[in-house]
Amino acid sequence: MKQQLRNFVFQELIFVADPNSFSDDEDLINAGLDSMGIMRLIMFIESQFGVTLPDVEIDPDNIGSFNALERWIVSHQA
Amino acid sequence: MDLLAGFNHQCLSAPNRLAFSEAERSISYQQFQQGFQAVAAFLEQQACANSCIALLLERGILAASAVYGVLSASASYLPLDIKNPPERLNLIIEDAQPRLILGQGPCPAWLNARDSWRDISQLAPAPNYTPAPLDPEAIAAILYTSGSTGRPKGVALTHRAMHNFADWARLTFGLSADDRIASLAPFHFDLSVFDLFSSLAAGASVHFMPAQLTLAPTRLSHWLQTQEITCWYTVPSLLSFLALKGDLANTTLPKLRTLLFAGEVFPSAQLIRLAEQLPQVELYNLFGPTETNVCCYWPVERRRLQADQPIPIGIPACDAKLQIDPETGELLVDCPNNFAGYWQNGALHRISTDNAYRSGDRVSLNEFGEYCYHGRLDRMLKCSGYRVEPAEIEQIIRQSPLVEDCAVIGLPDPTSGQRPAAVIVFKAAHQLAQLLPSLKTQLPHYMQPTKVLVKEHLPRLSNGKIDYCSLATLFEKP
Repeated sequence: MKQQLRNFVFQELIFVADPNSFSDDEDLINAGLDSMGIMRLIMFIESQFGVTLPDVEIDPDNIGSFNALERWIVSHQA
Repeated sequence: MDLLAGFNHQCLSAPNRLAFSEAERSISYQQFQQGFQAVAAFLEQQACANSCIALLLERGILAASAVYGVLSASASYLPLDIKNPPERLNLIIEDAQPRLILGQGPCPAWLNARDSWRDISQLAPAPNYTPAPLDPEAIAAILYTSGSTGRPKGVALTHRAMHNFADWARLTFGLSADDRIASLAPFHFDLSVFDLFSSLAAGASVHFMPAQLTLAPTRLSHWLQTQEITCWYTVPSLLSFLALKGDLANTTLPKLRTLLFAGEVFPSAQLIRLAEQLPQVELYNLFGPTETNVCCYWPVERRRLQADQPIPIGIPACDAKLQIDPETGELLVDCPNNFAGYWQNGALHRISTDNAYRSGDRVSLNEFGEYCYHGRLDRMLKCSGYRVEPAEIEQIIRQSPLVEDCAVIGLPDPTSGQRPAAVIVFKAAHQLAQLLPSLKTQLPHYMQPTKVLVKEHLPRLSNGKIDYCSLATLFEKP
């Protein structure tokens, strides 16, 4: 899952010098993930992993890093 | 008229009314006046009249005091984007040559112009300060933007020009002392002219929205509700986020009456969603480059919205006289808002006021006599609401000793308008990994290329010029 998230984020949303050295705990917001990026990321996650992510949980705490994203998605998988 | 006249009038008639709130702090008109007069008195002691004063401050009450203080001292304010990387800020400061740089706390380690730094967070009150009359033709603000020559340039605006817009907006959107206006735009964005001046000239209050709310849409809608915001001028991307993810179905915003948006094209499907969820709110599309501020506007007519039709930019605003160049379709703007010239190398380079401003925007008139936008005649991009000149990104990339040549174009992006993409030719082997860290330190995030291709050479036309049209096809997936 994390690899799919990483591929999508680095290909479509933000550009980092060396994706391989970008750790799963690194701050995605600082790296340039903005509100529009978040919207596209959520659409991608919902279609790719078959989950529904509640609007009220869209928050830097849940989207700030790949590890946070994975925890968030897993908590909504049946 | 000068930019402070409206505030002065309101402050005299109701000094205890709320002017600003920021997190837990709120201040009245009179308290705000005391704050900015301390800044003005400080600047007068340093003989700063008619000079350029840069502000390196977070958006908020202190920064607003700095803006008003600079103006009151007959100087011009230059708001720096604190999110820009230090190298770009130093470049802008080097170009602008401000007399002083106002900030909060100790001078940042990266700043080259260290002698210019002044901490304004602990200034003594100046109860005996008497403001001097202001010249309406003096430069009030210098807003730096991306430059097509490869270097950032400052758009210089007079008091008269900014006042013309501020007053038009105050009257057109019927602002009054009952209004509570949300403010999110950083001060280097011209949207902030509304937040800073139209608002206080109407006796309204301004509420600085915490930046992290832009990443948490339901907290954003909750904040609009609890702050009882009546009016907000912002960018379409955030309103889309609010409409799609803000849980507006369960968060009623009964006080909200007006939403203004500008800076990028609002995708119609998302605007329809917003219009449906906020049926009582008047929506306005505002349009114009920084050089003219708003020259065109469209009060959104809900019944005319269609998901597959872009909305018009509308009819002339601010007493603008608009024309279309019959050859090229370019929008020509003759407006009292128009800028005085570009600020470069520490001086104002006036433009002729005889001619209309050539916007570089391609437009046409529709059957209702409204202007419609069809894109740029030049290479300028709009990325997440920011104006970006590819030439500036190319200049930074070409500075690298590793790079032989490069070209930057915009790729259409479903959410950000456009995103920069670069094709790079290296002198020796593929050296992308060595080049990229330096881009990070020189370009703000919205100017970072989101896609990069490494090629042996750039596609060129028979006349030797770079073939930008065929560059785009290189990025298409096979």
